[in-house]
Amino acid sequence: MSLALQSITKSFPGVRALNDASLTLVGGEIHALMGENGAGKSTLIKIITGVHRADSGTLKLEDRDLVFSSPRDAIAAGIAVVHQERNLIPHFSVAENILLERLPTRNGLVDFARAHSETRQHLAKVGLNIDPATEVRRLSVAQMQMVEIAKALSHRASVLLLDEPTASLTEAEAETLFRLVRQLREAGTAILFVSHKLEEVLSLCDRVTVLRDGETTLMAAPVVGMTRGNLIEAMIGRSERPVVPRKRGPQLDQPRLQTQALTTSYGHKAVDFTLHRGEILGLYGLVGAGRTELARALLGQGKIRSGQVLVDGAAVRVRSVRDAIKRLRIGYVSEDRKYEGVILDHPIRSNIAITVWDSIARTLGLLTRNDEIALAAPLAVRLEIRAPNLEQRVGNLSGGNQQKVSLAKWLAADVDILIIDEPTVGIDIKAKSYIHELINELADRGMAILLISSDMPEMVAMADRILVMHEFALIDEFVNDRRYETASTRIMDAIHSVTAGSVG
Amino acid sequence: MKPVTFLLREQWSGILLAVVLGIVALSIANPTFNTEFNWFVLLRSICVVALAAFSQMIMLGVGQMNLSVGALGGLVAILVGGLMDAWGVPAIPAASIAVLVGGGAGLLNGWLTVRTGINGFVVTLATASAFTGINLGLTRAVPFYHLPADFVAFGNGRIGAFPLLMIVPIIVTALLAIFLNRTVKGRHLLAVGGNSNAAELSGISVSRTIMLAHCLSGLIAAIAGVLAVAQLGSAQPTIGSDWLIISFAAPIIGGASLSGGSVSITGTVVAVVLIGLIQNAMVLLAVDPYWVTFLLGSLILAAVWINRIRTVRMERAQ
Repeated sequence: MSLALQSITKSFPGVRALNDASLTLVGGEIHALMGENGAGKSTLIKIITGVHRADSGTLKLEDRDLVFSSPRDAIAAGIAVVHQERNLIPHFSVAENILLERLPTRNGLVDFARAHSETRQHLAKVGLNIDPATEVRRLSVAQMQMVEIAKALSHRASVLLLDEPTASLTEAEAETLFRLVRQLREAGTAILFVSHKLEEVLSLCDRVTVLRDGETTLMAAPVVGMTRGNLIEAMIGRSERPVVPRKRGPQLDQPRLQTQALTTSYGHKAVDFTLHRGEILGLYGLVGAGRTELARALLGQGKIRSGQVLVDGAAVRVRSVRDAIKRLRIGYVSEDRKYEGVILDHPIRSNIAITVWDSIARTLGLLTRNDEIALAAPLAVRLEIRAPNLEQRVGNLSGGNQQKVSLAKWLAADVDILIIDEPTVGIDIKAKSYIHELINELADRGMAILLISSDMPEMVAMADRILVMHEFALIDEFVNDRRYETASTRIMDAIHSVTAGSVG
Repeated sequence: MKPVTFLLREQWSGILLAVVLGIVALSIANPTFNTEFNWFVLLRSICVVALAAFSQMIMLGVGQMNLSVGALGGLVAILVGGLMDAWGVPAIPAASIAVLVGGGAGLLNGWLTVRTGINGFVVTLATASAFTGINLGLTRAVPFYHLPADFVAFGNGRIGAFPLLMIVPIIVTALLAIFLNRTVKGRHLLAVGGNSNAAELSGISVSRTIMLAHCLSGLIAAIAGVLAVAQLGSAQPTIGSDWLIISFAAPIIGGASLSGGSVSITGTVVAVVLIGLIQNAMVLLAVDPYWVTFLLGSLILAAVWINRIRTVRMERAQ
């Protein structure tokens, strides 16, 4: 079984997304597809799955020429895809989701008994032991993903596309997924594994194809013997530039933000930490550990049941997000850029100036475009936000540039304390190292930064000290020596010791 | 900006073209069209429509809808009529009280929305029914006819083709343009409509902004109600009953985003003129008035469809 795309070219108005790109998948192999954002990965996937049609080039399944005019054609040809975004209906049951368009009927009515028994067989293939009648919204993210894979396989797919499948999984959940992917490989399925994570690709995949600016820079190269450096060079055209290190350390005599035995309505139990001036304090935890909720509590959302929050040594009550920003000078960069970080439909200048509209307004609350531009322009230059001008809709920018806008508004607000939640999720390597340098620079200039991340290499590279959160409690705190082995081992040990304790 | 790029970029350029072509066609088809009196009638008819449209446009801007625009306008209309007819209050104080009551009713919509956390759509569906109930309960569906002469004269007055009534929507348009584009509160309103989560996390009070939007929407609907009374020369309890579709039609045809955060005052005004033109044409050409409603529905569909195509193209281009 093999799927081959040859010399694919695809243009959109103003952009050539793919230029002579090729990809060959073979049954019984896990094939990685890598590339920076905008390199053409999504377009290539959309061509394989029948969403787009190539301008030129061929798509062959077992030497048969294929022309897809819709995603249905691709499914019929045995190509299944598990998208990055969930494509399940939350209020429908697992069985209804898997058998959505072909629910078995009896006398014109849905035959749930049969639907459930069929679903059990599909679930068994992915090793998921749940009741087919469960509503999907009650499942964990990892279980939802398994349901999606079961759904994909239920179409008797011989080609399975996984688009960034581990983006929202914990390490343990990801391991389960990898086991399943390996089993599918043994069963002869051709698997295309799209990922940003170098470590994953190196340990899981057999071959790798890399795209850069719409062209294939690495074609079906064997992964054995490859290093991170090889992959990065293929992706960005040069080797990884080391992040400019910190110039000065934290000022440990100047506490900026402290909590004492903080217990919140989210479920945090006796959280104690101190964030100092000029410090990057890492808050590590798996998805669902309560990190974002802690940020929310510090911003005045949710209730504080007991304990207290201190800013510059004085106990404070944060009344609202507005209060946190204006009075206490605490900013928050959301982990969810599109839904919480920026207003996609509004221009760059407004998205940056939004935090300071009140202070740049003239009499009667009048704002002028020029005042916004005067404020935003130097920040856009400093953060290297790439856009033709500041009137550009933020929605037209790349993920990395959107994240820069989301950070720029806090530079505009000139806050003392910045909580940054997963700053580099889903953005490419160049933008990522840029954002890391920026965070370092802010800390050097005295900003106190609480860095929330579940990206272990990022945490180890960036943080001065690391807090480990598990089930809404801090379970460890240590000074980070920036050596990956020791720091990551200490974090995982801390988490394992509590989970082992709770099981035993 | 070159004229061609301008026409392609601005969403309302298409309807502006339709307006121009419509005027040319009507001038040729019917000589009555280009008389001073007909222009006066046309311009006067769009005053109330424009305000009803702005009332809804504010709500679309903050990402909600106000189904009580017409009911609120109708309630204010009989209030201003009642004050002048039954209690003999002079025109200006009566109009001021009525408009303030409208703003208060809008604030009530906003307060209920924020307080209950229920979408404004549902809240105003309920209050619309309540307002209409109060209206008909108080008046027993009997209009107020005896209005002060100066008030009625204002509604009928004109300088050439220019209706005096139009002074009001012109002032409201100017204030609204400044408010939405140039003031902090106005930007707050559009920011909440554009992305309420991002706005909240940037330090904007979402609940206060939503209350403000409802209050302004009520205020403008109330002004529309007062103008409708002046225009008709009597306070009919039925005023406002036919505003709802038009109030959505004009901002949407003018390019407002249905998900909020983006509205066009110019677009809305051009759309209002187009609607006025269609109604005028139907009268001049003696077409059954019910077809106006049909045409409006088709126009909304066409406008939304065109916007959709534009969005899809923009996304593809990325």
